[in-house]
Amino acid sequence: MTQIELRGVQKFFGAVQVIKDLNLKISDNEFIVLLGQSGCGKTTTLRAIAGLETIDEGDILIDGKPVQHLKAADRDIAMVFQSFSLYPHMSVYENIAFPLRATRKSKAEIDSEVRSVAKTLQITDLLGKKPSALSGGDMQRVAIGRALVRRPKAMLMDEPIGALDAKLREEMRAEIKRLHIKQGSTTIYVTHDQIEAMSLADRIVIMHEGVLQQVGSPDEVYSRPANLFVAQFVGSPVMNVADAAVAENAASASVTVGDATTSFEFPRALLSKLNGHAGGQLALGIRPEGVLIRREAADGFMAVETQIVEPLGSFDIVDLKVGSNMLRARTKSGFISGPGEKVFARIDPTQAHFFDKASGKSLEVRL
Amino acid sequence: MAHIQLKNISKSFGNHTALTGLDLDIADGEFFVLLGETGAGKTTTLRLIAGLEKPSEGQVLIDGVDVADWGAAERDVALVLQQYSLYPRYTVRENLEFPLKPKIRRLPDAEIKDRVDRAARTLRIEHLLDRKTDRLSGGEMQRVSIGRAIVRKPRVFLMDEPLSALDAKLREALRTELKNLQIQLGATFLFVTHDQIEAMSMGDKVGVLNHGRIVQTGTPHEIYNNPRDTYVASFVGSPPMNLIDGKLVNGRAVMAPLNFELPFSGGAKTFGGLKTGAATDGRPLVFGIRPEDVYLESGAPVEARVHDVENHGVEKILTLRVGDTTLRATVPARTDVAIEQPVRFAWNPDKVVLFDKGSGVSLRHAG
Repeated sequence: MTQIELRGVQKFFGAVQVIKDLNLKISDNEFIVLLGQSGCGKTTTLRAIAGLETIDEGDILIDGKPVQHLKAADRDIAMVFQSFSLYPHMSVYENIAFPLRATRKSKAEIDSEVRSVAKTLQITDLLGKKPSALSGGDMQRVAIGRALVRRPKAMLMDEPIGALDAKLREEMRAEIKRLHIKQGSTTIYVTHDQIEAMSLADRIVIMHEGVLQQVGSPDEVYSRPANLFVAQFVGSPVMNVADAAVAENAASASVTVGDATTSFEFPRALLSKLNGHAGGQLALGIRPEGVLIRREAADGFMAVETQIVEPLGSFDIVDLKVGSNMLRARTKSGFISGPGEKVFARIDPTQAHFFDKASGKSLEVRL
Repeated sequence: MAHIQLKNISKSFGNHTALTGLDLDIADGEFFVLLGETGAGKTTTLRLIAGLEKPSEGQVLIDGVDVADWGAAERDVALVLQQYSLYPRYTVRENLEFPLKPKIRRLPDAEIKDRVDRAARTLRIEHLLDRKTDRLSGGEMQRVSIGRAIVRKPRVFLMDEPLSALDAKLREALRTELKNLQIQLGATFLFVTHDQIEAMSMGDKVGVLNHGRIVQTGTPHEIYNNPRDTYVASFVGSPPMNLIDGKLVNGRAVMAPLNFELPFSGGAKTFGGLKTGAATDGRPLVFGIRPEDVYLESGAPVEARVHDVENHGVEKILTLRVGDTTLRATVPARTDVAIEQPVRFAWNPDKVVLFDKGSGVSLRHAG
């Protein structure tokens, strides 16, 4: 049972502020992923929780008790890094047993705990081997085993599978998720890979330049990004973002993208939901799957010309020229054969996002 | 502009054979992608065309002329590599001018300026012209490298993994830019990569290279939907095609040792003329099915457990477990499943590709 809370945490490296007023509450058994580009402060945050970095201001609480003045060893937290950091001269068994040496457990107890962890991670047959004889995936399994054997209050993982090749990374990701479901320990996991974050997390914490951008479930982060940064960081291909002007028609609203001469039709409700921002500097955000294309003209669809088509196997990404902007649409494979086709497009209002251009913040329009 | 042909090329380095009996035909103005894993012989092929290596056997023809005796300079090809190899002390403009200022055959200044400006406009690096190259980002540096190739107006562009060192978002953007550039220049591009997404999304044609042999050449659509063998099937597509051992028995696909059955429509439609029946009944086969052609349905014939869920926002990729084997299914984002939940699945029988178990070759191609 472990809750972790960060209150107003600030951290400087010299004059550079790497964590800016970070507030976060992590519940017991939760799997939290800190997601961001390199240099965003995610690893520093993790290391601060572990006690490997000091903080300059704020509180870090574990189960309600401030721990920022405790040493790493006294916080009862286990950490797994990208580099495996196993002892090369010890066997797998000895590596896993190592953290228990300082405890007063009997040999028999230690043995049973090492074996039980090895069984969970399916590495029982490796116990007699030296780390040098192991594959990258197995080494990371052993490193996780060494972290688990202490039954720590929380597991912190810093890009634990970042150094593995793609296939192994997928396998290990699934294992880490399954392990979490089985063991149910509070986990904080750092990555720059949004698919990893989306697949593992109960909640994703997105950071950028030391500032927390959004905390939410994978679905929330994907379908309700709080700002332009999150909108364009999560999802591939990236969300289309373009300057937009909203106007009022008799029965509908219209949204003009950039310098286009025609506009997309939207329900009239858009005007009231923009809540006074309709005349301001707006950015429209729409994911490729929210740009709908058809071959025949229809109500609300606008004539556009296709540019290049990227076939990606199960689907295609088609570039559409709208004024001087390019909107990327996701279509069935083979639906558009190439550049220069005249087709009709609309923007699915339920998947459209509107952002205030100056602040980048979402205006939270839901149609 | 050039038409490139490789005829029966073999190349050995000492007793290591890099290429065996390679035939390749790259049409004038084509974007040709050579796709293969590390060590498959991609870079060797590229260097043979550039004139940096000599084949042990076979011919390289440019516009029908055997170029065996031509040096690298005479072949008039431009190489763009993963490493940028720009001059760090020079400005972007000086880097772009460099290939136009050889000691002999120096171009007139007005012509140099014109070509540099045009290349800078094409690549949208005009604002960087006076900047030193060590002050550029990775994506900008790669644009300058490409610019340095463009100004020479070479007959052929040879690109060796030019995007591999860039981060995912930038790669995505440069993919589109490169493809647009090639269309705009109308030039012949040979692009080498190990990334099947790059190959699919950019190539007019893709050649899949394995152990120094071309396994299959075709449009991205052909390679994806009609792979020649199980190697291509599992290499192209992310996640790859599911490959399941089994037999055809009375029009049903019977999986062994997995022990489940699925309906199989078979017939002339699926085999492109090849009849099912005597030829395929009872013979050891591999059934190939793309994850997007596997679907969940409550009344479907086979039961599986959800082993893993990979969340892409727009869709989810499930790993389903039947016995000891796993297979992938791409399902809509709204599909709500938990790990270890039992589900039922079926496939789209029209999309199944049959491979011979022994040779791995698709029955459509073997015919």
